[in-house]
Amino acid sequence: MTGGHNPSEERLLAYAAGTLSPPEAVVVAAHLAMRPQNDAWVRTLQSVGGELLDDLEPEPMPDDALARVLARAEADAGQVLASTPLNDMVGLPEPLRRYALGPWRWLGPGMRARDVHAPRDGDCRVILLEIGPGRETPRHTHGGIELTCVIHGAYATETARFDVGDFEEADGEVLHQPRVVSPDPCLCVVALDGQIELDGWLGRLMQPFIKL
Amino acid sequence: MIQTFVRTVLGSMYGQVSTYQRIRPPVTAVGGEHDRLIEAVALRRDREAFARLFEHFAPRLKAYLMKAGAPAGAAEDFAQDAMLTVWRKAELFDSSKARAATWIFTIARNRRLDVLRQDARRTPMPEIELSQEEPERPDQVVLMAEDAARLKTAMARLTADQIEVLRLAFFQDNPHSEIARRLDLPLGTVKSRIRKAMIKLRTLLDDAGGEA
Repeated sequence: MTGGHNPSEERLLAYAAGTLSPPEAVVVAAHLAMRPQNDAWVRTLQSVGGELLDDLEPEPMPDDALARVLARAEADAGQVLASTPLNDMVGLPEPLRRYALGPWRWLGPGMRARDVHAPRDGDCRVILLEIGPGRETPRHTHGGIELTCVIHGAYATETARFDVGDFEEADGEVLHQPRVVSPDPCLCVVALDGQIELDGWLGRLMQPFIKL
Repeated sequence: MIQTFVRTVLGSMYGQVSTYQRIRPPVTAVGGEHDRLIEAVALRRDREAFARLFEHFAPRLKAYLMKAGAPAGAAEDFAQDAMLTVWRKAELFDSSKARAATWIFTIARNRRLDVLRQDARRTPMPEIELSQEEPERPDQVVLMAEDAARLKTAMARLTADQIEVLRLAFFQDNPHSEIARRLDLPLGTVKSRIRKAMIKLRTLLDDAGGEA
C-alpha cells in the first residue's frame, strides 16, 4: 500500500471483483484515476480474477450458443459502439466526466453541491461537494457509509488531513466535522448512504445540508 | 428476480472445497495460445479461433455468473454477451498488458452488475480498461510473461482458506455477508481474513522477483 489515505484492502478487492455498489465504485474509480499505484494493484487483481475464472468448473453451454453469437456478430458488423459524451467539468478525473451532473445547490455559506447522475443503489447516491477555504461542515454522522475522495484542495478532520486523491471511509460510528484547510475551495466526490444526522440543535437548522 | 434466486441457489454451491494447487494444470503455454487466438480474431475475424476461445471461456463465464446466483438461462445469456464483446473488442486486446483470461475476466467484471442489479442498468458503471494507455516500457512483453508466472507462483503459496476467501470475494454477489454465512464467521473476521490474504499476496508478489 502506498502513502496517503487509501481505500481498505477489502474495498479495493470488491472494486476489482465488480461487487462494490455502483455509487461506491464511482468514488473508488475517481480515486484510482489519481493514485496510479492503487490502479496498478487493481489491474493485478484482474489477473487474479483471470486465474480464478480459468479454474472454474465449466458449465455446459447449449449446442447452438456459438452459432447464435456468430450470427449476432455478423448482424452488427461495422457497427460503431457509441461512446458516452463527457460532461463539461473539465477538472474532474475521467471516470467522473462520464456522468451527467445536476445543477449546483446552495447548502450554506461557502458550501454547495451537485448530483452526479451515476447509478444509485437503494438510498446510496453520489454528489460533488465544494466547500470554501476555512469553512467546515456541520458536525454530523451518517445512517450508512460515506466514502469521500478529494479532487481539489484539502480538508482535515479531528484526526487526519486529506489531500488530493485521498480516500476517506466513514460510517454511522464516525461523528466528524471536516474543515477545509487549503487556500482554494475543496472539491470532493462523495458516495452517501442513508440520512445525514446532525449533532446538536444548531446543526439541525442546517436543513440544506441534511437534504444532501 | 435474480436477487431472490441468489438466496435459494447459493445454499447448493461451494459444497466442495478444492485447493487452487490441485485444480491448476501446470501448463503455461495454454494461456499464451489463448492470447494468439484473440489476436487472430482481431486481425482476420478468424471464426475458427473464436470457436476455440468460445469453447474454453463461454462455459466458464456461465459458471462465473451462476456462482453469483444467476439461473442457468441468464448465465448462458451473460456468457454469450461477454463472448460477443470479445469478438467486437478483440482489436483492443494487448497481450503485453493482460493475458487472455485476465482480459475476458475484466469484460465479465464490467458486465456483471448490469445483469445482477436492475437499478444499475440505465447509466454506465465505472469500467476497468486494461487497454488504456500506460507509460510504454521496452521490456513490457517480457515483464508481462514473467508477471503471469509470478502470479501463479504467488497464488499457489496462499493457503486453501485464503484461496477460498478470494474465490468467494470474486464470485459472490454479496461477498462479505455471504462469506460470513458460509464459513460461519463474524463479518469483522471476514474482513480481516480478506485483508490478510491481500497483504500476503502483495508480499509474495513483491518477493517473487528474486525467489521465483
